[in-house]
Amino acid sequence: MKNFTTLKILDLFRVIFERFEIDYPTMRRILQVKLTMDGRRPTTIMSQNRGGEKKQDSNQFLKSLWFYAFIGLTLIPILFIGDNFMFKMSLIFGVLMFLIMTAMISDFSSVLLDVRDQTVIGTRPVDHRTISAARAIHVTVYLFFLTAAIVSVPLVVGFVQFGVIFALLFSVTVLFSDLFIVAITALLYYVILKFFGGERLRDVINYVQIGLSFTIVIGYQVLARAFEFQGLQSSFEAAWWNVLLPPVWFGAPFAVILNGASGAYYYVFMALALLVPLIALWIYLSLLPTFEKNLLKLMDQAGPSKKKTTKGMNRLASLLTTSKEEHAFYQFAERMLKNERDLKLKIYPSLGFAIIFPFVFLYNGYSAGGSLDSITSGRMYLTIYASMMMIPGIVIMLQYSSKSKGSWIYHVTPLQGEGVIIKGTLKAFLIRLFAPVFGVISILYGILFGMRIIPDLVIVLLIAVIYSVICFRMLKGKLPFSQPFESAGQSDGWKTIPFALLIPVFGGLHFVVTNVPFGIWFYLALLLFIVPLTWQRGLR
Amino acid sequence: MDHGPGKILSLKGLTKWYGEKLVLDDIDLDVYEGQIIGYIGPNGAGKSTTVKIMLGLEASYSGEVEIFGQNIKESGVAYKKRIGYVPESADLYDNLTAREYLTFTGELYGLTADSADYKARLLMGVFNLEDVYDSRISSYSKGMKQKVLLISSLLHDPDILFLDEPINGLDANSVMVFKEILAQLSSQGKTIFYSSHIMEVVQKISSRILLLNDGKIVADGSFEQLRQKNKEGSLEEIFNQLTGFNEHQNLAEDFVQIVQRDHR
Repeated sequence: MKNFTTLKILDLFRVIFERFEIDYPTMRRILQVKLTMDGRRPTTIMSQNRGGEKKQDSNQFLKSLWFYAFIGLTLIPILFIGDNFMFKMSLIFGVLMFLIMTAMISDFSSVLLDVRDQTVIGTRPVDHRTISAARAIHVTVYLFFLTAAIVSVPLVVGFVQFGVIFALLFSVTVLFSDLFIVAITALLYYVILKFFGGERLRDVINYVQIGLSFTIVIGYQVLARAFEFQGLQSSFEAAWWNVLLPPVWFGAPFAVILNGASGAYYYVFMALALLVPLIALWIYLSLLPTFEKNLLKLMDQAGPSKKKTTKGMNRLASLLTTSKEEHAFYQFAERMLKNERDLKLKIYPSLGFAIIFPFVFLYNGYSAGGSLDSITSGRMYLTIYASMMMIPGIVIMLQYSSKSKGSWIYHVTPLQGEGVIIKGTLKAFLIRLFAPVFGVISILYGILFGMRIIPDLVIVLLIAVIYSVICFRMLKGKLPFSQPFESAGQSDGWKTIPFALLIPVFGGLHFVVTNVPFGIWFYLALLLFIVPLTWQRGLR
Repeated sequence: MDHGPGKILSLKGLTKWYGEKLVLDDIDLDVYEGQIIGYIGPNGAGKSTTVKIMLGLEASYSGEVEIFGQNIKESGVAYKKRIGYVPESADLYDNLTAREYLTFTGELYGLTADSADYKARLLMGVFNLEDVYDSRISSYSKGMKQKVLLISSLLHDPDILFLDEPINGLDANSVMVFKEILAQLSSQGKTIFYSSHIMEVVQKISSRILLLNDGKIVADGSFEQLRQKNKEGSLEEIFNQLTGFNEHQNLAEDFVQIVQRDHR
C-alpha cells in the first residue's frame, strides 16, 4: 500500500492529534486504507469514460481533479467582468459552491455513508474519537484537493490582477464556504436519514449525480454563450432577499475591502459569511452522535414497502404488448429503468439533452437572423428531430446493468425466442423515456407553431419508433441488462455515430415531403404501414 | 454444568429496546473459559443484537455487560483486542487485496504490519489461497471471502470469538478444517460464541447451547441436557418445540397447494 504524500504532511501535525487523545498511528492507518480505496473507486465525473482496460491503481480521484481544474478555468473570465467585486465574486462563489457541493454529494457520499466502517473498524479496539477524527480528516483531504483544483488557477490570476489582498481574502472566504458546504451537506443527510430511510437518501444522492453530469455538459453550452454577452450588466444593488443567497455573503467582504462599499446590507452579509459556517459546523458536531446512530438505518433492510403502480400504466402495458412474455419483459424493463441507479445515472442526463437540443437548434436559427414570425410560420419545427439524438446512446446503454449477473434468468426460462425480450424492453423504453420527452417538446412546439404541425409530430413519433428498432440492431443480439458496466468502453460512443447520422436523413426526407402537396398525409399513411412491418421483421 | 474455572463474560439484566420493540428482555448469562456456545434462535430473536452490544456497536442498553471481569462501558475499547468477530453480512473493504485487508485489520488489533502480513500469508496458504493473496477481494468467490473473514477474526489470537454463520459458503472440506480449529481453540481455553441456523452443526460442535426466543433465553445447557428435558431427538426438533413452532406440515401443504393452483 502506498505511503501517500498527504499522510506524510499529516505527520507534521501529529502532536496536535495526540493532544486530543487521538491514537495517531491507528488514524493514519485507517486513512491510508481509505485513500487507497478512493483511488480504486470510479468517480461520477470520470465514469463517463470508464474504459475497458483496468490499470493497477491508476488513481481515479486524482484524474478527476484535472477535470475539475479545467472547469475552474471558466471562473477566470468572470474575474474580468466589470469592476464590481460584489457582483463578480458572488457569481464566482455561486459556481464554486455549486460544484463543490454536488461533487461532495455525488462522489463522497459513499465515503461518508460507508456502513462497513461499523463492522470492519467499529468491532476492533479503536476508540470513537479516532474513528471520527479519521473520517473528518478524510473529508478535509478530499475537500482540500477538490477546492485547490478548482480555485488555484483563478487564485493566481486574481493575485496578478488585483494584488495580495484579493488573494488572501479569496483564500479565507473559500475556506469558510467549504466549511459551510460540509456542514450543510452533513445536515442535509441528517435530516433525510432522520425522516426517511437509507433508500431515500441513496435516491437523493443518485439524483444529485444525474444533475451534476447534466449541468456540466449544459454548463459548457451556457458558459460558452454567456461570454457572447460582453456588455453584461455588472452592477449590484443589495436587496433583502440576497440574504437567502449564500454566494452573495461571500462576495460582500470583497466589495467592502476592495470597492470600499459600505452600508448595513454589506455588514450583514459579511457577518453571515463568518458566522453561519461556524454555527452550522457547531450544530453538526453536536448532532454527530445521533447522526452516526441514524447511519445504521442504511444497513436496515427497507421496511414493508408500499405497492405503487398506477392502474393506468398497467392497462397501458397490457394494451401495448401482444403476449404474456412480452408483457413480463415490458414490466421488467420498466422497473429496471426506474430503479437501477447506475443505469439512471447514464441515461437520464441524455434525456435532459434531448429536451434541450431542439431548442438550441431553434435558437441558432433565430439568432442567425429571422424574426419570430418567420420562424413560427416556417418549418423550423423539424428541429424536433434533434430530440431523437438520444435514442442510439440510450439504446446502447440498455444492454448494461450493475446487476448483470441476474441475466441467467433469460437462459433458464423456456422462451421461444429473444424477440419478446427485445420488444418488451423497447416498448418500455419508448413509453417510459422517450414519450415524456417527446410529449413535452410537442406541447411547447404546438404552442409555438400552432395546430398545423400535429400531423408532422405524428410522423416524427412514428419515425422514432422505426428508428429505435434500427438502433436496437447495434446491440448485435446482446440481451438487455445482461452486460456489466465495466465492459462498456469508448467504442460504444463510436458505434452510435453512424446511427446518429440517420437522423438528418429522416429530417431531410420529412422536409422534402412537406414541399409536396398532401405529401405529409401520404407519408403518414406509408409510415403507419411500415411501423408494424419493422416491428415484426426487424426484431427477430 | 461443568466448566473451566474462569468466568470470562457475564450479562446481568441486559435489556434493549428498539423504539417500541423489546428486543432483549432482562437477560442474565455467565460464560466460562473453553466453552463453545451454540447461540441459536429464530430470526429477530435478538442474537445479533446481543453480539453487537458485547462488541460495543450498540451503546444504548440497560443492564451490565462484563467481559474479562470489566464492565465494557467503563473499560474503554482495550477489551476488544482479545475478541475476534465474523459478521453475518460479509462486510469487508472488498476493493482492497487480502494482503492489504488482513494487514490493516491485524494492525488495528495491535499487531505490527510485518507480523500481521507474515501470519496472514501463512493462514491463507492453509486455506489454499496463497495465489490470490494479492488480488482484490471483490474478485473472490463467497467461500473465499468467508475464509478471509475467518482469518481476519483469528489473526491476533483472540480469547473470545463471536462467529455469526461462519461457515456460510465454505465447502465441506474447509468446514471440517474449521470445526477442528474451533475444537482445538476451545481445548486451549478460548471461548466461542457460535451463532447459526444450521442446527446439525450447532448440535455437533457446541458444549453448551443457548436458545433465544422473543428476547429471552428459553433453553440453556448441553445438547444431552436439552434432550433429556425436552424428550426430542434432534436439536432441530427441540428448537421447533421450544419456539412453539409446530405447523410446518400445514405451511408446507399450503405452499404446495398454491404452487399447483391453476390460476387461469
